[in-house]
Amino acid sequence: MSLFMQAFLVALFVTIAFIDSHTTQIHIFRPVVVGPVVGLIMGDVQTGFAVGITVELMFLAVIFVGTAVPPNPTISTAIATGIAILAGGGTDIAVATALPVSFIGQVAETVQNSVINVFFMHRVERAAERLDTKGIVTNNLILPMAVNALLYGVPTFLAIYFGAAYVQGIIDAIPDKIITGLSVGGNMIGAVGFALLLNSIKAKKFWPFCMLGFFMASYLGINMVGIALLAVICVAMYYYFKIADAKA
Amino acid sequence: MEKLTKKELWKVFLHQLTIRGANNYERQQNAGFTEAMMPVIEKYYEDPEAKKEAYARHMEYFLTNDITSAIPVGVAAAMEERYATEGDIDPDSINAVKTALMGPLAGLGDSLLNGTARPILAGLAISFITSGLGWFGPIFFIFGMALVSLGVRYLGVFQGYKQGVKFVEAIQTSGLISKISDLAAIAAYTIVGGFIPALVVISIPLEYVSGDTVLSIQETLDGLMPGVLGLLYTGLMYWLISKKKVSAIKLILVTMVVGIAGTYLGIFG
Repeated sequence: MSLFMQAFLVALFVTIAFIDSHTTQIHIFRPVVVGPVVGLIMGDVQTGFAVGITVELMFLAVIFVGTAVPPNPTISTAIATGIAILAGGGTDIAVATALPVSFIGQVAETVQNSVINVFFMHRVERAAERLDTKGIVTNNLILPMAVNALLYGVPTFLAIYFGAAYVQGIIDAIPDKIITGLSVGGNMIGAVGFALLLNSIKAKKFWPFCMLGFFMASYLGINMVGIALLAVICVAMYYYFKIADAKA
Repeated sequence: MEKLTKKELWKVFLHQLTIRGANNYERQQNAGFTEAMMPVIEKYYEDPEAKKEAYARHMEYFLTNDITSAIPVGVAAAMEERYATEGDIDPDSINAVKTALMGPLAGLGDSLLNGTARPILAGLAISFITSGLGWFGPIFFIFGMALVSLGVRYLGVFQGYKQGVKFVEAIQTSGLISKISDLAAIAAYTIVGGFIPALVVISIPLEYVSGDTVLSIQETLDGLMPGVLGLLYTGLMYWLISKKKVSAIKLILVTMVVGIAGTYLGIFG
């Protein structure tokens, strides 16, 4: 198989893996699967298994919390495996050179969540206003999944076909501040979503409960399960002190 | 009007798989939730205005674990059915109940699925590979995770719907139906407040240097009230939306511009 064809197939698999991670989540996007599959495409399954295991162990305990974007395991494994096989084995060096390249996965995910999908989501909203069910599916599923090919498939192809240095060059060419700026903005726009939500529930008089949840999480660092228990207590107190009392 | 059939619930299940489709930082999984509710809304609402309102309800902010989000999808399906056929629940309570469920399901979903099931299955797969079983490892992992992902979603949609129907009937007979929007709103407000520090993050890297003393503005603010900037910004957005009727799109664009400009000027970072 020519290198072009191999790079193309790896990129195709990475795209499909990202579609899985955004929909069905049968987890073909994890290193333990990506490594061997890329190994098969590149003609060295043993190296594929070795890189897959190494990267899987590195990411084993990483849990995606909130909206912080972690380095991406799928794209790291695909590129690391491809480069290791092209270099003729040598898992360690490949992982070391490919991991920085996987930063492109983080950049792509930041742009996707803070710009591209905000755009698609507003198109879904307009489709819903027109009662256009096809428009909802097109803009929530089909177009965002097609974008995955561009955001994750293309960089993978370039890294395998032209080498990691080529992609590193692209990353270096993107001004740091633009990416930081996008993620700063991305971290702020949740405020608009929360404001819309609070406005839609129309229960302004309950603002003290919102403050209570906020202070418990911010000062005491109580996690979401704890906040949920707190919410149960608040509801119970309101029920016993207000509703049950009024009935009695 | 009849209840949702098995076939229709399967449709909800299929559309729920797209919960993360247009996942975005403004309102997270809202577009996916709307797509999941499509079969229910299309079945029960004839009047175009009522249908539009139903869709708009589900376009509000929604964020929880992708897989456990099937539970609020099932519950919301039951509540939409009740509202459309009986009309005896307040439609605002649908979002309040959804929001109340976001918190516990995010916490449980992340720790049980991503923090427990996945590392265990991946660990087993790795030990199969190292003991020479080769492809059995990854195939075992995919089957295991497919069972977890699709199984929890199936149970979420079907059981969430079943329990949701029971829940609405129970509050009806207990006479709490007129209070349910209050109770759900209290839970929703508490959960939203608890989410804000992690999800609306603004930090100011500026430092004030005077001789040997370096005064970090962010550290001072964190000492005073951690996450205060996110809270104030959310409050400002709420005021602009509810009182000044500014459109969400304008606020998003301005926020992104402020974020990028602020980063260039070194105010944010």
